[in-house]
Amino acid sequence: MAEKVFVLGGEQTDFQRNWSKEGKSFLSMMREVMDDAVEKVGIDYQTIAKLNKENRVAVFVGNFDAEQYANQGHLGAFLTEVNPAFYGVPGARYEAACASGSVALDAAMTHIRAEDYDLAIVLGIEVMKTVSSNVGGDFLGTAAYYEKEAKGVQFPFPKLFGKLADVILERYDITEDRFMDALAEISRINYANAKRNPKSQTRSWFMNKEHAVARGGANNMAVGGRLCITDCSQVTDGAAVTFLASKDFAKDFSKKHNKDIDDIPRIKGWGHRVAPITFDAKKEESKGQKYILPWTRQTVKDAYDRADLDMKDIDVFETHDCFTSSEYAAISAFGITDPGKEHEAIEAGTIDFHGKKPINPSGGLIGVGHPVGASGVRMMLDLHKQVTGDAGDYQVKGAKNGLMLNIGGSATTNMVFILGR
Amino acid sequence: MREIKTVTILGANGAMGSGSAGVIAAFGGTKVYMLARDLEKATQGIEAAVGSVKTDSIRPRMLSGTYEADLEKAVSESDWVFELVAESYEVKEPINQRIAKARKPGTIVSTVSSGLSIARLAKAYDEDGQKHYYGTHFFNPPYKMILCELVTHSGNDPKVTKNLGSYLDKVLGRAVVYTNDTPAFAGNRIGFQLMNEVAQFAEKHAEEGGIALMDEILSGYTGRAMSPLATVDFVGLDVHKAIVDNIYANTKDEAHETFKLPDFMQKLIDENKLGMKSGQGLTKILKHGDGKREKFVYNSKTGNYDPYPKFDIPFIKQARSRIQDSNYRGAMEIVKAAQGLEADLARYFIGRYISYSLSIVGEVVETKEMADAAMGFGFNWVPASAFVDYLGGPKETISLLETSKLPIPSILTKAKPSKKFYELGNKLDARSLFKG
Repeated sequence: MAEKVFVLGGEQTDFQRNWSKEGKSFLSMMREVMDDAVEKVGIDYQTIAKLNKENRVAVFVGNFDAEQYANQGHLGAFLTEVNPAFYGVPGARYEAACASGSVALDAAMTHIRAEDYDLAIVLGIEVMKTVSSNVGGDFLGTAAYYEKEAKGVQFPFPKLFGKLADVILERYDITEDRFMDALAEISRINYANAKRNPKSQTRSWFMNKEHAVARGGANNMAVGGRLCITDCSQVTDGAAVTFLASKDFAKDFSKKHNKDIDDIPRIKGWGHRVAPITFDAKKEESKGQKYILPWTRQTVKDAYDRADLDMKDIDVFETHDCFTSSEYAAISAFGITDPGKEHEAIEAGTIDFHGKKPINPSGGLIGVGHPVGASGVRMMLDLHKQVTGDAGDYQVKGAKNGLMLNIGGSATTNMVFILGR
Repeated sequence: MREIKTVTILGANGAMGSGSAGVIAAFGGTKVYMLARDLEKATQGIEAAVGSVKTDSIRPRMLSGTYEADLEKAVSESDWVFELVAESYEVKEPINQRIAKARKPGTIVSTVSSGLSIARLAKAYDEDGQKHYYGTHFFNPPYKMILCELVTHSGNDPKVTKNLGSYLDKVLGRAVVYTNDTPAFAGNRIGFQLMNEVAQFAEKHAEEGGIALMDEILSGYTGRAMSPLATVDFVGLDVHKAIVDNIYANTKDEAHETFKLPDFMQKLIDENKLGMKSGQGLTKILKHGDGKREKFVYNSKTGNYDPYPKFDIPFIKQARSRIQDSNYRGAMEIVKAAQGLEADLARYFIGRYISYSLSIVGEVVETKEMADAAMGFGFNWVPASAFVDYLGGPKETISLLETSKLPIPSILTKAKPSKKFYELGNKLDARSLFKG
């Protein structure tokens, strides 16, 4: 596995941008991010055209819901509108709710492993600011079991992850105050990290622990049970691109760019599991088990096993903090603590930027923003930056291996990748 | 510089006072004395500050007070005194006298003034006070507009300036532009040049469409969130007049005559039609009984308000459509090639903006990046240097300036053609400022 799929880098849009306000569309976003990515990585359209002619390149588009947000399906075919180099390219759109970017990565990786193509271009994209937050909240409801969990519910997802917070409190021996403080600390860390990231949505926003802990009231409204605005990720317009490559291609690429092949990161392991779709079924299934989200834990374990690595080998994590409660649960899923003890890692500063196991140095979904279909690809891009020492002000010193967890729905689709040198 | 733990805000009830206080209390984590003419106003300022940053966490750190009763005590306890009272020497100088007497050595004192001479205001202070006296020109609303012009004068200590700049940048999250103590500093000098000259042209072209036409020609496709004359209506005609009069009286540069306030604007000011804040100005919005809103525009020929016209200018439509496709160079190609009065005017003002922005480098700011940051972060306008790239580079830009008979800044003639002219790309994506 470890010598099969190489990651060459990529680019993301500035997640602060509101493309509807700019009078631009998903397609303009695709054009800009693709143009920026080819420039940044150093593979031009001519090279892509040549590879395309030889049937050695394919494109994989991660997108959740352009049908509703932009009244447009079939995004897998839209790279042809970006540049004629893509005429004739194999391409499709991949969807798994908030894990859409990761299933696009998974398909790309699989084709490279099967030696079908030498280069796989993965583009994750979502425009979300085309509609009001109420309407958008309803669209997002289709990532749950809409009929049973979202229909007629205002903001269904905060409520589902609010339930996760409730179950954590029910099953583990922790006081509510301590737990809510730990969630507030997760929020604080993500916002603080995002300040170092020049492409994050919240880089100029105000957040501190005092504010995150002061839940309720007009300035930090409750949106889902115990969870308030400061516990939520953002509504974001954004796209990200990463280039995956075969070993032969990576060898040529490294030569051309005066690098050693050993400096090009590779996908060392992955995991992919789907849990029962409704949150109630998840809760029922995990009764009496150590983990509330056993399939999330299993996905991480699968990735560790495939990579022949363990938690101690991972220097940096990017996780799916769609809500503070999901990042909380991820801490034990990664094996940083036992389940029920996550707060100890938070209180000890373990997951902080300068801690032993930093989570979301980028700012995560709470700080960077969460353009749903793009988030998985953005995480892979951030792991690439970290393990190649290219993360600028949010570089985790000496990071060699990174792990990403991207989930869809209420931790229904779970996808993990380990990237390292 | 002393660590900033306590701050006094003078003028706490104004939009700038409360907005700046919110930013300082939140990001700086400081205690803030909120001083106003009376306690009720000061308390209103605290609530406005909380509302602007949307956090209750700062309320316990904000203390209300009045100039009369609390100024000396607050100033003597403060590490930074930020004065945001009315924009005139007559109001500011007596307050400065009192601050000067009460401040401890090492306390920073600054003013938000957008036009007065910082060196003159500094004269109220002793040597240590002058060393620590600055212009800190925040923009409205401070939480959203992150520009801060840090205005220095000859009495400052570069070490303190550096530390204060770093505090404004790293702690308060401001985009800091260092400017000299010249009239209106950087952002307003460039911004109000364009706005006033556009107003002059609106008067000249009253028959062809006047105010509405000029705003259409300089709408979002020329890289701004709000058209120039709509911006005048937003900031207020009286404020506009104060700024351009000051520049007109105290500078003598290539654009001198463009700072002369057009007669029709004086007339509107005399009639108290100051813009949005007084319900009418360059435009007026009528709300009908059925809730429908109708927009009108001032006709400088007749003195009446006419229904706001719709325009159908083919090259603008084409340019917009290219911007919608993220083809920014292509949009500028359309502008460069289009025929007719409207296209001539568009080219003239794009050229003027670039020419004038780059011309103040040396006099007002050290580098073109400072001028670019002022316009990008303070006005949400595409910075001049980025425009140069979208026009095809320095050479192409020079030829556009020549056709419009505009001065060619030496920075342009000296520029290397192979390099990107815009160098702030990693901080401000200029593409985001073009509206399709």
